Amino acid sequence: MIDYPHQAVLLLTPLDIAGSTAKNRLVFGPHETNLADGRAISDAHVAYYRRRAEGGAGIVITETASVHPLDWPYERSPLASQCSPGWRATAEACHRAGALAIASLGHAGMQGTSAYSQRETWAPSRIPDTVTRELGKEMESHEIAEVLEGFVGAARTARAAGMDGVEINAGQFSLVRQFMSGLTNQRSDDWGLGEDGANRLAFPKAVIARVREAGGLVGLRLSCDELAPWAGLTPESAAGVAAELALLVDYLVVVRGSIYSADATRPDSHVPAGFNLDLVGQIRAAVNGATPVVAQGSIIDPGQAEWVLDDGRADLVEMTRAQIADPDLANKLAAGDSQRVRPCLLCNQRCRVRDSRNPIVSCVVNPTTGFELTEPEAAAEQSGSGRVVQIVGAGPAGLEAARIAASAGATVHVWEVAQQTCQLVRTWTEAAGREALGAIADWLTNECEILGVEVHLGHRVTSDQVESWRSAGDAVLLCTGGERRLPEYDVADGVRVYDAIEALDGTLDLGALPDGPIVIWDPIGGPIAISIATSIAHATGGRHPISLITQDQIAGTLLSLTGDLATASTRLAQLGVSIVKHREVRAVTNEGITVLESLTGTTEVLPAAVFIDAGHRVPNHELGLGDAGDAVAPRTIYEAILEGRRRVIELVGNIRHEVHP
Amino acid sequence: MRVGRYPRLFQPLAIGPVTVPNRIIFSAHLTNYAEGGRPSKQHVAYYEARAAGGTGLIITEEHSVHPTDWPYEKMIHGFHPEVIEGYREITDAVHKHGTPIFAQINHNGGQASSMYTRLPVWGPSPVPDPLFREVPKALTQADIDEVVAGYALVARHCREGGFDGVELQCSHSSIVRGFLSGATNHRTDSYGESIENRARILVDIVAAVRGAIGPDMALGVRLCGDELLRDGITIDQAVATAKIVEATGQVDYINTSIGVATATLFMIEASMHIPPGYALFIPSAIRAAVDLPVVGVGRFKDPLQGERALEEGACDLVGVVRGQIADPDFAAKARAGHVDDIRLCLSCNQECVGRMGLNRWLGCIENPETGREAQVAGQPVGPPIRRQRVLVVGAGPAGLQTAIAAARTGHDVEICEARPHAGGQVRLAASVANRAEFGDMIRNQLTELSRLGVMINYDTSVDLDFIQSRNPEQVVIATGAVPVRPWFAAGGGGEAGVEGACGIADVIEVLDGSANPTGRVVVFDELGFHQATSVAELLADRGCDVEVITPGMVVGQDLGITLDMEGWRLRSAAKGIVATTDTLVNGVEGRTLQLMHHPTGATDTREVDWLVLAVHQAPADALYHECRAAGLEVDRVGDAVVPRRAHAAVIDGQRVGSGIGRTSKGRVTS
Repeated sequence: MIDYPHQAVLLLTPLDIAGSTAKNRLVFGPHETNLADGRAISDAHVAYYRRRAEGGAGIVITETASVHPLDWPYERSPLASQCSPGWRATAEACHRAGALAIASLGHAGMQGTSAYSQRETWAPSRIPDTVTRELGKEMESHEIAEVLEGFVGAARTARAAGMDGVEINAGQFSLVRQFMSGLTNQRSDDWGLGEDGANRLAFPKAVIARVREAGGLVGLRLSCDELAPWAGLTPESAAGVAAELALLVDYLVVVRGSIYSADATRPDSHVPAGFNLDLVGQIRAAVNGATPVVAQGSIIDPGQAEWVLDDGRADLVEMTRAQIADPDLANKLAAGDSQRVRPCLLCNQRCRVRDSRNPIVSCVVNPTTGFELTEPEAAAEQSGSGRVVQIVGAGPAGLEAARIAASAGATVHVWEVAQQTCQLVRTWTEAAGREALGAIADWLTNECEILGVEVHLGHRVTSDQVESWRSAGDAVLLCTGGERRLPEYDVADGVRVYDAIEALDGTLDLGALPDGPIVIWDPIGGPIAISIATSIAHATGGRHPISLITQDQIAGTLLSLTGDLATASTRLAQLGVSIVKHREVRAVTNEGITVLESLTGTTEVLPAAVFIDAGHRVPNHELGLGDAGDAVAPRTIYEAILEGRRRVIELVGNIRHEVHP
Repeated sequence: MRVGRYPRLFQPLAIGPVTVPNRIIFSAHLTNYAEGGRPSKQHVAYYEARAAGGTGLIITEEHSVHPTDWPYEKMIHGFHPEVIEGYREITDAVHKHGTPIFAQINHNGGQASSMYTRLPVWGPSPVPDPLFREVPKALTQADIDEVVAGYALVARHCREGGFDGVELQCSHSSIVRGFLSGATNHRTDSYGESIENRARILVDIVAAVRGAIGPDMALGVRLCGDELLRDGITIDQAVATAKIVEATGQVDYINTSIGVATATLFMIEASMHIPPGYALFIPSAIRAAVDLPVVGVGRFKDPLQGERALEEGACDLVGVVRGQIADPDFAAKARAGHVDDIRLCLSCNQECVGRMGLNRWLGCIENPETGREAQVAGQPVGPPIRRQRVLVVGAGPAGLQTAIAAARTGHDVEICEARPHAGGQVRLAASVANRAEFGDMIRNQLTELSRLGVMINYDTSVDLDFIQSRNPEQVVIATGAVPVRPWFAAGGGGEAGVEGACGIADVIEVLDGSANPTGRVVVFDELGFHQATSVAELLADRGCDVEVITPGMVVGQDLGITLDMEGWRLRSAAKGIVATTDTLVNGVEGRTLQLMHHPTGATDTREVDWLVLAVHQAPADALYHECRAAGLEVDRVGDAVVPRRAHAAVIDGQRVGSGIGRTSKGRVTS
């Protein structure tokens, strides 16, 4: 374990990049937001970028804009020809805050879709996309010329709008990378790879040369490991590519991923933070100072970021999700307040928005993200002054409410029946791959302590107490969480059904399980049941057959949003967990679990020594209807934090939150 | 007045204060045309096209009555007063054609997501929906009052917006159905347990809405006849609810539906595998119990089916949604007796239903103007184009559509087809049991071409010499695609019947009869649509022992979006077809297939008599490149560009055919 530095020093050092100065080494990288207005950079976009620039980011790179109108990879993907006003406003906002503003430009090629353009996708060669199974059209030479023209036109638009430069996307979803890779380029013409890949760089070089015509900074985002060594770019071949292209660009961002590894660039917490650091170190060595190198890849810990620079692995660090969680990251580091940085959990639950439903980018721990124009960050200054706020429940809803109220000057008490704060969140951290969730529990607890919130642990609040607070004029918030739901199937007398909490909190002793199969019922399809199955598989080392029952055709359907869908299935398969698909639990008896195939109407009994129901919970209404979070309806940390802050802002500010524009 | 072939269908009917000119209803369905919660110009053009086409009544898509209800992004927020302006544009446009139009108003209750609202979803009880899986907040009395007031508010907006009536969607996705159903209503207060209690919110809403719209507008209630769910609504309960609705004395008609949108959507918008009229037992039973006019729905795609349902007394009106999505002039053509001219819906669900769940605008596989009405209407009349002689090579859907569009534009069009018939691969796709309706696409195109007087030369192979001898001013290559033998099947295997080797065939070769697999068959699927599953069924029906293997996580992934997945699962189970996922074929040696489970790397083998491949094809584009090299004016469409599905062929053909003789053809300007 590396001992990371505690102070941000190098991170805060300015860097000259081809005549422009980044005031520090922190980059807010390009990513899908679904904030676009049609295909234009919107006011919401500008507010989103402004907030990060004002929070101290050195470089803000805007969402990748398509350089050609037929490239329409997702509905709200920006189109460069429509981005001029938005880029202008973004550039002004960033410059006012002292940040550089760079426009990411790209073309998704065969990783796009025909759904919005109603036209075929374009590709170097006719290779099917693994996600959509669409086959791209092998581009004709006039179409290649059109795309090159698109790049220079887009770069000119960005420059004319005041952007400091452009970044060419040759990363995970890009036509430029597709032209460089044997996975996707099988052409035999001038745009093919040529013998031994000698002509591999024809297309990127042409793009860079054309984009240079617009002036300004030119950066390159390059996939340096396609994770498909049989034909793709490998760290070894990418080193040569990077060394050659580095001579032509002003900075280089090292990423990984390609068509067979859709979630490799921005994975969730199942992949260790800073997973790309060896790769970026190798590439920087190969580049040999020709151009500054940016490290990317789940870097969320400022200490790790400082170490990256200190160890000479990179010249700048992209901390995108960290600044989605806390836009003030850089300012807090500059103030020496690194322990107050609101932590990214690498959960991907709200910030990964590549989904046909067009969810707006946001953050589980910071629901104001993406909603900068509509969701207030805090209650009005001193609006809580003279108020006493009594909060029942020290989960995320209660602690966020406490934090906001205390920041507004209120006297705040939090009452918690458990012996620790955020008990349920901390229980979930026992599940495999979910350990990172604990950071929000620690952060909320620490913030409350700093702000002077009085947290009373091990205290069960009674109705009388609530009544007496109310008669004293105190504001009361019930954030009492959820409780177990009665099973929607028959349970025979004497048969034990464990819930998801009991599977993790030690109630179910994984060291002393009865012989026989362990059966998990997952009516939700989210991360919980899968991580429990994984934890049990790890703990029992294959001594028990484990099966997961789902009514769906795959396990973990809801994980499509976090990007963990295919990878979760792979992990389960590798651990030997069997997935019982298309089944609902109808009865639990000593003989086993009766499951129904609802379409065919067939039932069967699965033998089970242990049965875990990882299903939904219901609100705890012991003290009355809840005000926020699971006490209203059991959901995720996101809703808990959002509702906790909204309710308390209403209370202390005496305002009603507008539910709709 | 009795009209032509379908006297009952064209008999006017009074629905309360509103008289409809015929019994064909363009009933409510999602379109994803809303912009920023408001109706759009596209809504106006879309509904107006159906009004102009003679439909008897339009019922718009749902309008949300409360900010807690926003289950999909492009929903009309009826509770926002700014919608009224858009309502007026819609109703004015529809009324120009003398067509009445109602608005459907709704709250989806627990069948919703908080993704857009960032508010808890509301339901009668904290029972999570099977699709969205969010635990709802159980409504308090104050919440119920807010919902009821929301219905009244939106009903007032509808009145101000010029609608002739309002329909309450209490059927497949509604908070009202949530209250009516024992599956989702576990309340023990005055809104739970007895049917009268469960219908209380409905009765309250009816009263509030009638109060808001007054006596001059029609009010309808759409009920679910069978939820097809455990503890759910059955037909007896639906009939009892209908009687409660009638007893209010405030309601003018009852509409019906079957299933629950978030659990059994495949029964609501049934694909071609489910026979027409499958849901008529619901209006039949309700009509027998109440005196109100009753609407029947369920895959009415031919006027004859509608006429027969009326004749049999199953219902008083028929909902024809997809039939009028495919052909806005459905009613007018039926009324005039030009039945062959109707562009019959295929019930393929590919571009209508299939795009809804993906948050995309509603279109139609065979009508490229559906979903684009506002753009088509808004196009300036260009300068007169010079009539050109156009040669289209290939009579598949792309070539036929090119010819249609070019001929409509005024060009002189000739089609040459190497085979003795039109249709390309659509013809093969439709040759499988229960997929025959897919072939109507070609029938419809041929009908239109014959009306336009376009000549098709069959059995005519075309090469560059032929083209140059014809000397056309524009050539369009629509030569389709050809199967490709993938690398893993290139070395091993062999011809059928060769000793010691399995037969290898593309699905195309099975369908066109050039290969006839028998015995143990593996169908390897990289396409994820009907190609593999329909051929697997065909071979199982012929007595083969069939396994479908796919590298995907699911066999037939895209059958889900067209609502064919459930049927496939049922039929394949009955036919004993085995489904193996996450698996690659890595080689063929003799009769042995080498398999790899790619998540784990585990290898396996299969001994087979035949390997059938559903894999990507290659464009037949040699002639296109020869024409280009020869400097001819040439374009290409459909699979000859790159193999895709049939809708892409039609869109290509429409774009290229209508662009001939114009500048900047094929450019997307957005």
